[in-house]
Amino acid sequence: MSIYTMGIDVGSTSSKCVILKDGQEIVCKSLVASGTGTSGPDRAVAELLEKSGLKKEDMSYILATGYGRNSIDWVDQQMSELSCHARGAYHLFPEVHTVIDIGGQDVKVLQIENGAMVNFQMNDKCAAGTGRFLDVMARVLEVNVSDLAELGAKSTKKIGISSTCTVFAESEVISQLAQGSDKCDIINGIHHSIANRVAGLTHRVGVRDQLVMTGGVAQNSGVVKALEEELGHTILTSPITQYVGALGASLFAYQKALKK
Amino acid sequence: MSIEVLLNEFKEIAANPAKQLNDCKAAGKKAIGVLPYFAPEELVYAAGMMPFGIWGSNTKTINRSKEYCATFYCTIAQLALEMLLDGTMDQLDGIITPTICDTLRPMSQNFRVSMGDKMKVIFLAHPQNRAKEYGITFCMKQYGNIRKELEELKGSPISDEAILDAIKVYNKSRAARRKFVKLANEHCDVITPIKRSAVLKASYFMMKDVYTEKLEALNAELEKLPVCNWKGVKVVTSGIICDNPKLLQIFEDNNIAIAADDVAHESRMIRVDAPEEGDPMRALAQQFAMQDYDVLLYDPASEQNRRAEFVAQMVKDSGAQGLVLFMQQFCDPEEMEYPSFKKALDEADIPHIKLGVDQQMRDFGQASTAIQAFADVLSTR
Ligand code: SF4
Repeated sequence: MSIYTMGIDVGSTSSKCVILKDGQEIVCKSLVASGTGTSGPDRAVAELLEKSGLKKEDMSYILATGYGRNSIDWVDQQMSELSCHARGAYHLFPEVHTVIDIGGQDVKVLQIENGAMVNFQMNDKCAAGTGRFLDVMARVLEVNVSDLAELGAKSTKKIGISSTCTVFAESEVISQLAQGSDKCDIINGIHHSIANRVAGLTHRVGVRDQLVMTGGVAQNSGVVKALEEELGHTILTSPITQYVGALGASLFAYQKALKK
Repeated sequence: MSIEVLLNEFKEIAANPAKQLNDCKAAGKKAIGVLPYFAPEELVYAAGMMPFGIWGSNTKTINRSKEYCATFYCTIAQLALEMLLDGTMDQLDGIITPTICDTLRPMSQNFRVSMGDKMKVIFLAHPQNRAKEYGITFCMKQYGNIRKELEELKGSPISDEAILDAIKVYNKSRAARRKFVKLANEHCDVITPIKRSAVLKASYFMMKDVYTEKLEALNAELEKLPVCNWKGVKVVTSGIICDNPKLLQIFEDNNIAIAADDVAHESRMIRVDAPEEGDPMRALAQQFAMQDYDVLLYDPASEQNRRAEFVAQMVKDSGAQGLVLFMQQFCDPEEMEYPSFKKALDEADIPHIKLGVDQQMRDFGQASTAIQAFADVLSTR
């Protein structure tokens, strides 16, 4: 009989779920763009079960991760998203040694040896360098977050944006707009600002091949490219980058299920 | 008394300092607020008064003290002033304001100007070169001032005998706390991080003889228990203060025990005893001269990184797998030390995390993630 396990990643801005069969095959995944403290997690789980045709009872083990992991109390276990991202990234890229995870409100850099996380760094409280930073900037520029990569790629001129603080950067962007700077150049500047900030954090852990980027912001090729330039290193991403935490959670769940 | 009853008493006291202050005043005793760090509390005790520790607050909000302080003062100092300004500490008869760091130095004058009419504000400048003879002489003079001010409040002299007695009471109390810290490591299943913190914190709000008696009773009970076979991980904590139960709850939730500490509010204040004979004022100055391995104190051999190596050794000796550093926001001494501290830990292959904290923090989501992940890292080592 097959073993099904579920991983739920309740982030600050979105909820992701993955069901694994026998710790290998992704049977189903779901994503709702609302995170902890909202109906997002429940909706993501409901959607997942509906799509897969499975029931909660079919799951041998359910593990929650992410910033809001403790808000779901009906799961078998909660685990930090750092461990889950490390596990998920290792599953997708067996040669991984460094993971950069940029989420909605924080940045984490993980060092991995033989699939286990051995060291990590997190950003301080400030939202600079996180997904929130991109959200704020997109709003100021009146563009969709999902269009940032494409627009930034059209940039022809380098513009420097502060990497210290979201509030400072926001007023810098407004003043660039007032001066008539091109939006594409500003967006490229924003990507580099994030990259600069994240690179600093990455150096504290050290970069070792393979370097993998996970989390929602990894979908923005502008940030990935800027970060590759800052670090002088190729970055690998996965098409299911947003689900890496949930995938890791369901992988851990599988391990637990076997021990049950 | 059972361990549970004793632990509950410590918890109540640690959580209700105001009640302790009220009770002390109701009993007709004078009370003296003692700010961090290294004030010679023994003099207060010898004067028959209650020394009352003021190390900020985990529940108050900075409001009135903004009138006096720049935003880059640490919250410990700002909240200490807040509690004096908002009437929480109105029952105090005086305060002693040491001036060891760049925050406390200007802060001492804020205390003087804002509270001087209400209570005695006793200034204390410790010597930088504390071990040299001229440093000891300077320290004795400073402590002499405190004695004089306290005598004024008391209305009669404080005898040398009374100070020597106080030294004995304090040495005994420090020894009992050092022993408790060791026992808490051996029995970390019973003495969880929150309970450990409450026991040590209660010492700031009690007369030391009463406190010590209670603590010795607890130690005796703990000694009867078999040493626990801890399945979780163990860490050493470091920093100025980490007494917030919400923060310590995260340790408990993740099966992290505290094996030992390098926390100013806890073990750093009880490492050194004073000589019990001879001139008592000199004994107290000598005690300060012998303080060591503290980032807040001048170290003529700082390039040798002795302190960081001392802490690294503590981690190894206590059986901890790693260290959690609570970095107080805007604490210059601690931040300045961090690079060499980190270097020594890395060289000794001791994993650590640094958590930025302040006493205004109410949400510990990020700390919780970091601590949980750190527990994962330690358990795979
Ligand atoms: S926390 Fe740091 S800055 Fe604040 S009083 Fe203590 S030593 Fe000074």
